[in-house]
This record gives sequence, structure tokens and C-alpha cells, in this order.
Amino acid sequence: MPLVAQTTVRGRVIDSKNNQTIPGVTVSVKGTYNAVLTDTDGNYKIDVPTSNGILVFKFVGYKTQEIEIGDKVSIDIAMNQEDIALDEVVVMGYSQKKRSEIASAVSIVTADKMAGVTTPNVANMLQGKVAGVEIVNSSGAPGQEAEVRIRGVASVSAPQGPLYVVDGIIGGSYDANDVETITVLKDAGATGMYGSQANGGVIIITTKKGKSQDTQFEFKATLGKRVADQGHLKMMSGSELYDAQKELYRDYASGKIDILKFYSERPRELRTRNFNWEGNMFQPAMVQNYYLSARKANEKSSYYIGGSLFNEEGTLINTGYKKLNLHANHTYQFSDKIRVDNNFNISAYDGTSYDYMDMYYSYLSLPWDNPYDSSGNPLFVDGTSTSWWSRDKINPLHTIKNSNHEYKGFDVNYDLVLDYKITNWLSFSSSNRLSASTTKSHDFVSKLAAGTYYGKGYINESSGLDYGGISTDLLKFNFDGKIHSFSGLVGVEGQQDHFESLGAEGKGLPEGFSVPAVASKELLIHGYKDASYMQSFISQFNYNYKSKYFFTGSYRIDATSAFPPKNRNAHFPSVSAAWLVSNENFLKDLKMVDMLKLRASYGITGMKDIGAYKYMGLFDLSTQYNSDAAAVPYQLANPDLTWEKTEQFNIGFDLGLFDRLTINLDYYRNVTRDLLIQVAQPLSVGFEKKWENVGRVNNNGLELTLSTILVKSSDFQWTFDITYGTNSNRLKGIDTPIYQTLNGISQIYRNNGELYVFNLPKWLGVDVQTGAPLWEHLEKDANGNVTSRTPTSEYADATAQEVGHALPKFQGGFNTFLKYKRVSLSMNVSYMYGNDVYNFTRKFMDNDGHEPYYNLMKWKSGWSRWKTPGDVATHPSIQNSALSTENSSRYLEDGSYLKLRNVTLRYEIPQNIVKKLKLQQLAVSFSGDNLLTLTKYWGQDPEVTITPSTYVMPGVSDFKYPPNKQYVFTLEVKF
Amino acid sequence: MVLNFKNTRMKTRIFQYLLLSGLLISGFGCVKDVSPSDAINTESLATTQDGILNVTNGCYALFKDNIEFNGTVDMNNNYLRQYFQLCDFASDDITCGQVTEDPLFYSFTLSHSPDQSNTRFFWYVSYKIINSNNTIIEIVDKVSDKTNDMKQLLGENYFLRAFCHFNLLKFYSKPYAIDPDAAGVIIRSSTTEPAQKARSSVKECYDFIISDLKKAAGLMNASRGVKYASKEAAWAFLSRVYLYMDDETNAIAYADSVINSGSFALEDATGYKTYFPNAATSPETIFLIAFTQADNKGKFGSIASMIYSDGNSGWGEEFASSSIRDAMSDHREDARWAYIDSLKDDDGGIVKKNGIETFYIKKFSYQDGDPNLSSPVMFRLAEMYLNRAEAYAKQGNSDKALDDVDMIRQNRGLEGSLYNRVIPNGYTALKVVLKERRIELAFEGHRAIDVYRNKLQMDRSYWGYHLSGLKESDIDLSTKPTGYANEIVDYTNPRIIYYIPVDETLANPLCLQNP
Repeated sequence: MPLVAQTTVRGRVIDSKNNQTIPGVTVSVKGTYNAVLTDTDGNYKIDVPTSNGILVFKFVGYKTQEIEIGDKVSIDIAMNQEDIALDEVVVMGYSQKKRSEIASAVSIVTADKMAGVTTPNVANMLQGKVAGVEIVNSSGAPGQEAEVRIRGVASVSAPQGPLYVVDGIIGGSYDANDVETITVLKDAGATGMYGSQANGGVIIITTKKGKSQDTQFEFKATLGKRVADQGHLKMMSGSELYDAQKELYRDYASGKIDILKFYSERPRELRTRNFNWEGNMFQPAMVQNYYLSARKANEKSSYYIGGSLFNEEGTLINTGYKKLNLHANHTYQFSDKIRVDNNFNISAYDGTSYDYMDMYYSYLSLPWDNPYDSSGNPLFVDGTSTSWWSRDKINPLHTIKNSNHEYKGFDVNYDLVLDYKITNWLSFSSSNRLSASTTKSHDFVSKLAAGTYYGKGYINESSGLDYGGISTDLLKFNFDGKIHSFSGLVGVEGQQDHFESLGAEGKGLPEGFSVPAVASKELLIHGYKDASYMQSFISQFNYNYKSKYFFTGSYRIDATSAFPPKNRNAHFPSVSAAWLVSNENFLKDLKMVDMLKLRASYGITGMKDIGAYKYMGLFDLSTQYNSDAAAVPYQLANPDLTWEKTEQFNIGFDLGLFDRLTINLDYYRNVTRDLLIQVAQPLSVGFEKKWENVGRVNNNGLELTLSTILVKSSDFQWTFDITYGTNSNRLKGIDTPIYQTLNGISQIYRNNGELYVFNLPKWLGVDVQTGAPLWEHLEKDANGNVTSRTPTSEYADATAQEVGHALPKFQGGFNTFLKYKRVSLSMNVSYMYGNDVYNFTRKFMDNDGHEPYYNLMKWKSGWSRWKTPGDVATHPSIQNSALSTENSSRYLEDGSYLKLRNVTLRYEIPQNIVKKLKLQQLAVSFSGDNLLTLTKYWGQDPEVTITPSTYVMPGVSDFKYPPNKQYVFTLEVKF
Repeated sequence: MVLNFKNTRMKTRIFQYLLLSGLLISGFGCVKDVSPSDAINTESLATTQDGILNVTNGCYALFKDNIEFNGTVDMNNNYLRQYFQLCDFASDDITCGQVTEDPLFYSFTLSHSPDQSNTRFFWYVSYKIINSNNTIIEIVDKVSDKTNDMKQLLGENYFLRAFCHFNLLKFYSKPYAIDPDAAGVIIRSSTTEPAQKARSSVKECYDFIISDLKKAAGLMNASRGVKYASKEAAWAFLSRVYLYMDDETNAIAYADSVINSGSFALEDATGYKTYFPNAATSPETIFLIAFTQADNKGKFGSIASMIYSDGNSGWGEEFASSSIRDAMSDHREDARWAYIDSLKDDDGGIVKKNGIETFYIKKFSYQDGDPNLSSPVMFRLAEMYLNRAEAYAKQGNSDKALDDVDMIRQNRGLEGSLYNRVIPNGYTALKVVLKERRIELAFEGHRAIDVYRNKLQMDRSYWGYHLSGLKESDIDLSTKPTGYANEIVDYTNPRIIYYIPVDETLANPLCLQNP
């Protein structure tokens, strides 16, 4: 039996506009995985079957062309530049669409736009690049993930983050280096298909896949340095603090400083002591990332395998994070009907964390204390030390040396996808993922460390095991007609997740040992399990008429174990429509307009992640009395509890002009109903709160993205993008305001108010005559209207009022990219405006003499201390400052900022050198992150968390791990 | 023909796949009911025997546990820590050695505010215990044939409900003896009553407490030991309640019941020196809250931490005042000096903190040899003698009053200095009794209310940071301070009690704030 005869076809590919050769074009035999790439001169050669071959030419930015091979052995073609706006294929999760067909608010970020950002997590790569997406780095701790908010805050109690989908399946794990594209789905037209998990938007990650017949290798090495960025916060030096403390000895009546008493209590030699705590606790740290991947595709299969090693030291001493990730995907075409994909991802990480108090003391310890003894070892300091000046007799350097806070984890994901073509218009696909992960944390303090564990030591270890899976089985249909086209899918999805934890804690460890087995007293064990289940029905229908009018409808039903039996199911419909005006006859020939699309969508999404058992009345069993089991009231029952649902309405347009300018504008109105809120109960009921479905949140906003290609010539390119998003947030339908308080700072949620509004006494400054602090006292009439405002120096009389809000008025970014021949420069800036931040650390670092043994922050210019009657000052007299550091609008500052997130300068080594080294591409780049922050905020960093949790209130800046400035050098090799 | 055959085969295959996947999904995502693995569902409480025992034990646990409040678990917030600090830091027995941002400071300076986290937490956890009590009382009341054990548990719940209400009155309402018609606290006696409720008068609260205690005493015949409530504890408590009401007859009657029960005996002078670390096994203890090693709160949250430190174990910022030390200074042989201990430097001099001499208080330390561990005593026999003595003194029976005082003294190493029915110059029988009460029950949560319910003044003219604006350089230990605000606090001062928490007055407008 003769084999199918093969011949070799060669050719060259050029650009039809400028006749330049195009390297990297994929030339393949249609219907197979047989493909090659054109070389740097645009030449290719490929083996083809001698019968019925069609060559397909594909390249990003150009229209795909198909040419019958017939009996030709040489095929040269000129490719036409594509209308990217129309023809690019976008992964939408359960299905794929061409850009022209999308009727929803969707943003796409490709790998090239994310290059230059060195980070282990993907959220950081999106900063400032997608309108309507707010990304906050609330902590600079190594391994810390950024917080992501899409289109404002839609819930009070539920986690707000988006749903992540990796390679078409919900969940999953990946490394930033494996990412090819990120698609952000913003409105219900697109997210409706994810139903009860989609309130926070959906982020779809597509990993790199094999493309060509030649194995392609990619290697990237990044090496650099990071330093802590303390913003405007600087602590005083020994001499500055010494001079500032003279104020403590001022006599109020005479206004004079009792200098003799001062010298008697503050020896003059103190002024010469100056230990730099900040400089010693925070040190420059190294960051490294190594990535190697290989990929290939042929007629039957394609594969990609990539490994990445990331290692960052933390700027706070003894902290760091390491991660190793292996990602592989493999597609095998069994026959022309059956395709099977196998993907897996293994990731392992190991991090060293820190104790909050070590951070606290890094700032507040006095520069007059030297924490090192004469031999250079950290000094032991405890309550009996008489020569330690700082308020709390503790040396954080000694504590850090004698403690360890480690965590590690390991996770595995395996995907199996089966695609079966039943007929040419009907196919069946089954996507399945199994995942398992373990985590372990280890907190250890040696018995040598001064403080509460001295002489005993302390250990607390905890492990968690999480495993589960998801299976989505769909029937997909597709009729592509010249006039009418239909497509759609219908199917079911099931998910389950199981979690178990185990922990042990104890004290009484002998020196040098740090495992739970050696703890001898106060032994406690922890452990519990949890599970969740969800079953869904998914469907979608798409129709287009002559590629001008597009319509999509989807319907999903979810049933989940998180809700009481009577409210277990919920329905999520959505519809969207688009009009591709530029395909109409009257616009088709207008060269100026590349694309004009009008679109509108409406849909409902839900939120199920409120944590389990919220509807039950519960007594918590995890305590004991006299070593007997004891149960304590924990939660009030609510058998009517149900889902939060968001109705989303979006209209927008996409306009492309002159091949140079793209404008995307979206307006949205989202109403989240049946908010899950813990309604405050009078404390005398014995419960602080009860879960109820009460009220609504409205989020209305505008998103604008402007992308311009300012210059595009053969040698020089310059693009500039702007994103802008504004969101207005209103709480409705609650009769009595809800107050959330943490550390005494209060936020109020009231009808017609925004979320996260600070409710505190208003600071009026300092009384000119007495130097006492002033707050505002309000008198109200029977209807609650303010009838008078008077200043008072009695804190108990100050009236709490709405003084600021944590949510911004608008935010966005600028990106620009310049390329001249082989040198390119890119810059990314992100900005936020109108958010207020409560600078909680000032209570300690700017304490008006309440804490004479804490160090102070250096003052902002314009700040002054009241000394004698008649002084107009910002800070009260130290002798008359009772309660001046109590929570009020005094420490509420404007957190607006502009940050230069990334600047990257890249140079591609000339091809003649590259060829000599037998490589395909070689480039080096230098980049800097967080190089510049412009802000009025007088503290560490105006970027503060937007996620409420047990110890955290949105908009409040507590002692946190400072962000980093980072300088890295990267080498990229393709071969 | 061939086509048809292919079609059916295709159809079967499609059905096979769908069936398979349908099975996979229905097995895979089957939505089951999930119950928490570490909590009891309230609905199942009534049906399990263990449930009622566990919840009752939970009430005791709430006296010592740090539970979540305002979204956070603050190690400083537990019932007993606040109970002792709110009373004794406002008294003349403890002086403040260091200014602090912790709200305990306001007990010293009297600069109270309705949003103090300590008073708000104390109010909250008290009512949480009361809610638990009400849940059990409602369930057990429905049981027709109660066993003795069940009656014991029911009695304990009545006792604890009364105890929590009584302690709330102590901090938020005027003493009965000053004004029984003043605003008391909110009486919570049912889990289904409306959340908004007004405060009852002090007298109404006392009547409610007495009724609960009498029921409790009648039910508790299967005592579980001193770590739990018992009949005798109910009697001891009634003695205290009637004393505060100035009902001398009943105060004496119930003190008699306890003393004559034969179940208790006073520690002698030697035994007293190690009484508190070993209170659980002493015959003097009537009722205490048990702390095990697992309940050791360490530096951040133990009762001992603020008033005692061995250098590392605690903050050690508040000390026995010169006022109480002066009251005891005549008799250095008094066994009660065992619980006051100064920190000495290498030359034997007393170490000063911010200018104040350190005199640590050890009543809450050294159970199992740990400086931060103790099981605080709520009722002990010595108080019964003192309750009885005060009642006798107020009835005019000074002989019997002094006999009871002597009973205490001869068990505290003062057998050589008994009163023997002779009132010393410048004293009355009542003054003698109150002085002995102060020394015996110092730092145990009695002093402030004892002073104010007897319509006396609290004299804190000694050095300490309760004096606002005090500088270390102003301190001259050889003299007394003069000219500072709040050195002397009269019983008519509105700040002898705390503000009702702002959370309560905001969510429950029927509950009116204190002036």
C-alpha cells in the first residue's frame, strides 16, 4: 500500500502594503496540524500531501489566506493587513467569538502588552490597562496577590473579586509567564453564562499553545533589586526627636520650656544617638525569575510545556517567597471527529512571612536605642531592661532572629477535554478538571525571644487540604450562512469542593526545637471540614444577520448547597445585541471608519460565596470549660436567606477611525438586590448581627478606552492608550443605617449613601486661644436636620458625621509604547482620584505627646504646634491635648495618586549576531517598577485595601508591608 | 438504507454520551445538604442530652473566652479581665503607672465615652451569656419529667442569668442604696421578645435577680463542684444582693446559711498565702471560674498582665496604691501582704516605673506555677463573714459585727491584734468593718461599689497617672499630690458608672443613655 505521496512547497510572504517580508507567519495545511513558520526573510518550506492540499497563511494583524496547492511547488503571497477590530478571535469562556460579533463589554489584553512586568501574579499585569478594573496592591509582602474590583463594589458582605477561568474551565492555576491572553468580561451579556459566580466579573486566562512544526523554545531570565518604598513617611532621627521632645516640657501657663527638667530627664548625649530602624529593618532585596518553555504543533497534535521559577526576597528582613510552576498542555486529534486535550499545572510555593508587631516596632522604636550589643548580635530586651528607651521593652531585631513564620503549599490541576464532532454543525464537548491543593503554615517563636513567650516558646502549625472538581458537558451547534447564522450551546455543569484542616498549637518547647511534638504545655488542637456542591444548567443562543446585526441570549440555572433548601435554585438570564454599523452599505466604503459598533446588553448575575451555613442558628463547639466540651451562641437563624442578584444593563460603542484611533465607550447601570447584610442587633440581644437580605446597591458608571497609533512607519512606531473609569455607588432600601467599626474607626452604610463612608467626628483644628483640639458638635432637630454647628474641645460631645469616602471618583491609566528599529520604550502609569484614606498609623506616629516613648514621623511642611495663646497652629498644645488622637477626620487624608508603574527599555540584538548564535531572537531589557508616586497622602502608601475582613477595614491604612520599587534586567531568548 | 442505519447508530451514540455525562454530572454536582463540622444547629439542641450540658458549659466558657466583637478578636476583650479592671481601676486600691491608649485608662481618669471597647464588649458578652441561659431555660422548662442532673443545669442557668444582670447593674446603674428608682439595665428573660426594649428600674432588676436566685437555690441539688454554680453559691450571692439593698435581715440570714452549711472553712494564715493559685481545691472557695492551661492568655489578655510581671510575662503597669498599702502598713505580719510584691533593683531599692513605685499584685498569678494563670474566685467564705459583719454594724449590733471581723483577722495572722469587741478611737463599727472588707477583698472587684453604695467619697490623692497632665518630674513621693482634678470622687458624681454602649443606644432607641 503506497503512502500518501509528499512534495515540498516553498515560498515567500510579504506585506501587500509596503512589500516588506513578514517573518513568523504560520503556513499550514488546512485541517491538519502540519504547520511551519516563515523565517526572518519571510521564506518558508513545507511538506504537503500531493492530493487536495490547501495552504493556509495566518499571522496576527493580517487577514488569513487560503491557497489551493494543486501541483504548485512555489507559492508566494502578499498578505493584507487585517481589521483587528473585526476578525480577531476572542475566547469568551464557554465559546469563542470574533471581535465583530461581541455584543458585550469585553476587554482583551495580549501578552505583548503585559511584557515588562515581572510579577508572580496576573492581576499586577492588568494595572491601568483595562477601563473599569481597579487593581489594588494593598501590601508589598512577597507573594501577596493584588485585589481586583470590576465595575465598583457590588456587595457589602461578599467577596468582591472576579471569577477566574483558565483555558475554558472555572478555577485552575497558571504562571504569569504561561499567559497568552487575558480577556476581561465586564457586563452580564458576557458574564451571565457564569450565573451565580459572576457578580464580580470574569477574567479568562488563555495559556500559550503550540503553533508550528518546528519546536520553539523560549527562555527568559529576570534579575533585579527591590527597595522598600516608604512614600512620604520618614521617621525622625535621634537629634530631631530629641529637639521635638522639648515640647513635652513646656509650661502651659507661662508658655516657656522648663529646659532644666528636660535635660535632667533627657541626657544631652541622647541627641547624638541615631540608630536607623527603617534602614535596618528594611533592606534592598533581590528578585529573580527564570522561565523556559518548548512548544510544537503538527498534524495530529500540539503541545506546550513551560517551567517557571520565581524567587523574591522581601524588603523586610527575613521575609520572602519562592514559587516553582510547571504547565503543560497537549492536544491530540484522534480523527477528524475526535479531539482530546490534556492539560496540567503543578505549582509549589514556599514563603516566609512576618509578625505584625515586628512591623509596628520597625517604625515606632526610638532611634536612641541600639538593638545590637558590642559583639554585633541583637540585644535581648525585656521588662527588666533599664537602659531601653522605647515604650515597649522589646527589640524587634531580636524577636525576628528568634522566630519564624513560614508557609508552603502545593497544588495540582489536571484538565481533560473531549471534543466530538457529531456532524459538521453539531458537536459535543466535555471539559473536566480535577484539582487538589495542600497548604501548611508554621508560626514559631523561640523561648529565647523576649515577650509573652519568653521561657516557653510557641508553635502553631496548620495544614489544609482542598480537593474537588468540575465537569461541563455541552452540545454545541453552529450554522454559518451567508445571510443567517446561528450558533449556540446547551448543557450541564457540576462542581464539588471539599476542604479539611488540621492544626496544633502549644508552648513549652525546648531550645532549638520547633515542631509541635516537643511542645509540653497549653496544647490545643484545631480541625474541621467543609464541602460545597453546585449543579447547573447552561445554555446560549447566538444569531447574526448578514454579519451586521448580532444577537446573543443565555440562560443559566444554578443550585448550590450554600443556601437553605427552599432557596436553593436561581435563574440567570441575559440578552445582548449589537449593530455593526460599519458593515452597512452606507458606511462600508467610508475608508475613514474601520469599525463602528453599537451594542447593548441586559442580564442577571448572582453571588453565592457568602460562606456556608449562614442561614442556620448555631452554637460554636470549638471551646472548652474546665476541659469539658462547651457550646457558645454564634449565629442567629434565618431560614429565608437567599442569593444576592445583580441586574446589569450596559450600552456602549466601539469606533475605529483611520486605522489609527480606537474608542471604546461603555455606560452601565447595575442594581444588586437582596444584599446579604449582617444587620446590627441591639447588643442586649446577645448577638451583634443577624444575616438578612436587605437593601440594594446601585453602581452606575462610565468606562472609556482610547487607543491611538500616533506614528506607524517601517522604522518607528508610537502608540498611546488611555483608560478611564468612573463609578458612582449608592446603597438603597435600608431603613436604619448600618455601622461597621474596627479599632474605633466607624463606617456608615445608609440609604442613598455610598459604601465605605467614614463616619467620624469632624476635626476643626486647634483653638487659637487655648491650644486645645477642636471637633464639631452638631445640634439636630426632630427630623434629623442640622440646626447648629459649634466647635467643642470635649471629645465626648463631638458628633459623628459623614466625613469622607474610601471609594474613588475615577481611576485608570496611561500606556505608551515607542519603537525605533530595534529599540523600544514602554511606560505604564496608573491613577486614582477622589478616594480618602484613614491614616491610622498617625495615631501612634503623630501622637501629640500621648506616647513620649514612640518615635514620631517627620512633619509635612505647614504643620505647626500651638505654643502660646494667639498661635494659629495645626497641632494642639501638648499640655492641652486630651483625646486629640481619638478617631476623627483629622487623620483622614486625600489618597489620590498617580503612579509610574513600569518603564521598560528593550533592545533587540541585530539578526546577524542572533543567527551566528543559532538563535531566532535575542533581546535584553531594563525595567523599573513603581518608580514614582505623586500623592498628597502623608504616609506609607495611599493604595489601601478595598476588601473588608476580620482585621481589615477598606480605606484604612494600618502598619503594612510597604510597596517596593523594583529595578530589573531581563534577557529573552527564542530558539 | 445505509443512511438510516448510520443515523440510528449515531443517535444511539449520542444518547450514550449524554447518558454518561448526565450520570457523571448528577453524581458529580449532586447538591447535598452540608452541616458545619464544628457547631451545633440550634434546632437540634432540644433533642440531644449532651446539647444542654454543652451549652451550659459554654456559658461558663464565655466568662473567660476572647470572642469576636466588632469584626475582630481582641485579646484584651474577655469578660473577667474587663470585670476586674472596670471596678478596681476606678477604686483607690490600684494606681496607674503608665499612660496608655488602652480604654482601661479611662477607668482611672474617669474620662469615659460611650464607644469604649471594654465597656461595650462587657455589655455584649454579658447578654450573650444571658441569651444562652434563656435558650436553655426555655427548652428545659418544657420537659415534664426533669432528672436531678437536668434540674441542676437549669438552676445553674438561673444563677448565671442573675449573676450577669447583677454585674451589669454594678457598672451601668446607680447603686440600689443611692436610688432604687434609677434606671437599671435591660432585663432579658426570653429569646423571643422584641429586640427593642427599655431599661427597667434598679429595683425591678433586683427583684428579678432575687427571684432567679431563689429558683436556682431550689433546683440545684446535684452540685458539680466549685467550678460551677451550686445551691450554696446561690445563697452566698443572695447574701451579697440583700447587703447591697441594705436589707440587713436577709443579708444575715443567707450568710448564716452558707457559714452554717458546714461545707466551707476559712483558710488559716499559712494556707491563705497560697490560697489564690490553688483556689479550686481550697475549702474557702464557694464558686470560681476555672481556667486551664489552654486558657492562659499570656501577656496580651490575662487578668494578671496589667498588674503583675516577672519581667516578660506581663505589661506590669498598674500597682497597689499607697492608699491600700497605708491601710495595711500597721501590720506587716498580715498574711494578705503575700499578694503585694514590689520589684527591687540590685541595691534593694524599689524600682519605679515613670516615677511610681512598683507594687505588683499577685492575686491572679501562679496557678500551676504560671505568672499569668489563675482561676478567679467569684464567691468565697470570707465575704460571708464580712457581709454579715456589715449588716450587723448597720443594725447597731457592733459586738457581733466585730466578732465576725475578728474571725477573719485570726485567720490572717492577726490573732495578736483582734478587736475583742472594742471599737478603736476615731472609728465606728461600720468603719472598722469596711476597712477589713477593703483589705480582705482588695483587687477582687468589690472596692468601688462598696465605697459608693455606702455613700462615701473615693480618695485618690496619691501619685499615679489617673491625675491628668501628670509629668514624671512632678512626682515627689514624700508628699501627696494636690490640685489635680478627680483626686476625690463623690458618690454623687455621674462618672461612678459607665456609659451604655453606643451600639445599644443606636440600635435600641428605647434604651436611654446615662447622664
